[in-house]
Amino acid sequence: MSTVTLYSVSYDLAHDLLFLLGWILHYGPAAAAVENPNVVTGLGVLIFAAILLAASMLNTIVLIWYERKLLGRFMDRRGAMHVGYAGLLQNFADGLKLFRKHTTQPAEADHVGFYFGPTAYMVSSLVIFGILPISTGWNSGALPLSLLLALVVFSFAPLFIFVSAWSSNNKYSLMGGLRSAAQMIAYEVPLLLAVVAVVVVAGSFSLTTIVYEQQNYWFWGPLVVALVVFVAAMLAEMERIPFDLPEAEAELVEGWNTEYGGMLFAFFMLADYLRALVGSILIVLLFLGGWTMPGWVPSAATSFPLAGIFWFMLKTYLVFGLFVWVRASLPRVRTDQLLRVGWNRLIPLSLLSVFLAAALVSVRCLPVFGCVPSPGG
Amino acid sequence: MSEMWINMGPQHPMTHGLWNLRVQIDGELVRAVDPEMGYLHRGIEKISEDRHYNEVITLMDRCCYVAGMAWEHLYILGAEAALQVRPPERADYLRVLCDEFQRLGSHLMWYAAFVQDLGLMSPFLYGMRDRDLVLDLFQSFTGARMTYEYMRVGGVRNDLPPGFADRSRKVLDWLDDRFREYDALCLGSTIFRKRCDGLGVLKGPEAIAHGVTGPMLRAAGVKRDLRKDRPYSAYDRVDFDVALADSADVTGRYLVRMEEMRQSVRILRQVLDWLDHHPGPVVADRLPRWLGAPYAPVGAEGYLLKRNYPKGLGLSAIEEPHGEALSYVVNDGGEHPYRVKFRSPVFANLSAASTYLVGYHVADIPPIMGSVDVCVGEVDR
Repeated sequence: MSTVTLYSVSYDLAHDLLFLLGWILHYGPAAAAVENPNVVTGLGVLIFAAILLAASMLNTIVLIWYERKLLGRFMDRRGAMHVGYAGLLQNFADGLKLFRKHTTQPAEADHVGFYFGPTAYMVSSLVIFGILPISTGWNSGALPLSLLLALVVFSFAPLFIFVSAWSSNNKYSLMGGLRSAAQMIAYEVPLLLAVVAVVVVAGSFSLTTIVYEQQNYWFWGPLVVALVVFVAAMLAEMERIPFDLPEAEAELVEGWNTEYGGMLFAFFMLADYLRALVGSILIVLLFLGGWTMPGWVPSAATSFPLAGIFWFMLKTYLVFGLFVWVRASLPRVRTDQLLRVGWNRLIPLSLLSVFLAAALVSVRCLPVFGCVPSPGG
Repeated sequence: MSEMWINMGPQHPMTHGLWNLRVQIDGELVRAVDPEMGYLHRGIEKISEDRHYNEVITLMDRCCYVAGMAWEHLYILGAEAALQVRPPERADYLRVLCDEFQRLGSHLMWYAAFVQDLGLMSPFLYGMRDRDLVLDLFQSFTGARMTYEYMRVGGVRNDLPPGFADRSRKVLDWLDDRFREYDALCLGSTIFRKRCDGLGVLKGPEAIAHGVTGPMLRAAGVKRDLRKDRPYSAYDRVDFDVALADSADVTGRYLVRMEEMRQSVRILRQVLDWLDHHPGPVVADRLPRWLGAPYAPVGAEGYLLKRNYPKGLGLSAIEEPHGEALSYVVNDGGEHPYRVKFRSPVFANLSAASTYLVGYHVADIPPIMGSVDVCVGEVDR
């Protein structure tokens, strides 16, 4: 019996659409296209991509709303209130406003880089969603190296930020871009080392396998050092307070996106939150058991239709809520302090976490957390 | 990246107003700074020469938009000295009340802006929220939240409304509580200490040489507070301590301002108690007749010009929330002051920028300037 996956749904949808098209048009080639697997597959992939795009964008916009409301509560105010129920539509209004705005480009700016930077930043952030598995029926995460691929695409960002910063021809943008590049490169290393710890325990680079390995226990317990390193590095990668110095508004106006307005700025904004969403999703996938639930949760709560997606999104939003909490309560660190923390603290810690993971795999069973499955699942 | 000049301002989030800090940077290090003021010059001193003594008060509110009451007080003291008018005792206490509430409002505003420069988002709104309570109190007895026009030559405009003391005490209790929260959010945060300790050091002798006053001077361990050293109004009759710190850095200035707020609360409690038990007039009864009328009645201009009133010079100095402010009012017997001159504490504090900014990082400029507490309105006047 084949499992229903998002991709199989898209494929069936493409097939039915083509069949309907041929039937309505009464046109030979259109009817014949249903029989051509290449055409059906191509259309299926397009539908798959469209669903992913819509889902990720919608989630991002809801995420921004969620952050605004949560930040508002932390700050003793209410956040967005007026557009839609509890301000739910405020971000759509904001997006519409940005969409309508004229895009201005500084006189001496490099035209190609100025437009290429934000676009590529946005696209590269969106691409990651094609790789992340959200639930069991999401076989895109089953690629043998899906985790590696996701992280590779995730680490494209500093290049695009730097391109857009440099091509803006603004000193603040340039400084922001340089800071961003330095920061992301410095924090890429502990991030990847923390991931290595997970990979060592799970024995696979496939995100789906990593989640399946967490059926017995979630990895955050035995790999708590790796989790701490990963969260800290992820905060830096997402450029959120306390590590938001590339766009530290106090000294750099808006950092690398100072010169951007209108839709290009919206691209930056959306991509930032897409990356924040990706970061939260990765934490859930790697450390919090993805869509699985521990055994003590009653089965009614874990077996209803789409339960996997529900639990997954709940965990993701809780993790993002933690980031919002951090943002509401911590000041910003300085560039040199940030780099010192990255190189002097997080990298040794991440190496320690790899060592601990290796020890865990050799010991096999831990008294509290249970036994590690054999590598490779 | 080699050395380059960047303009931080006149429209930059760091400036908290309208001035320009030209910074020569080498990578992330500050090599030289050059503060440029004057973007907000409105000619307040010159305009004052064409105004009635009491009309100048409206300008004082606009002189410093976060500490309008302190500037009113400053000018009024100078004008009273020039006109040889003495206010009744209750007015003295009311002025101390205004001053200290203004100090609270101004320091809360400073707190909000300063933590915002460090990237702290929630305390910024906490500071603004609590400042609002102070503004509400101001509104309840002056009718305005920022431009009060409350003080008058020879007293104040009106007495406090009924119930004011209770409302104020509630606010003071609330604030006392909040100061602990502020400290927990700032001093309790390792990142805050790492950012602020040893930052923007301005030692005592250097500060004195540059004419730096106020919390910046006291943070360097110099015990100088005009409220104690040269008491005016009712400050010699209230009990308080001068806030001091000896680290001379951003943390020191933070500590001094927080302690000043606590002392303000202490002073305010005493003043409120005194006001409860000593009703009386709030304006001197022997005022020059023309001080009551803002404009000369039609046909009486000649009379007003010809009147014969003693000439005089008035010099006053007060401890404004930002530092020591001076006013110099020349009364040549006319209905307008002949000359009005102010000394702005922030101007001196800003002028010394190269002593406490050079050698630090670009990212340190906002917190350091935040700890200076810039109010551009009074710098440029």
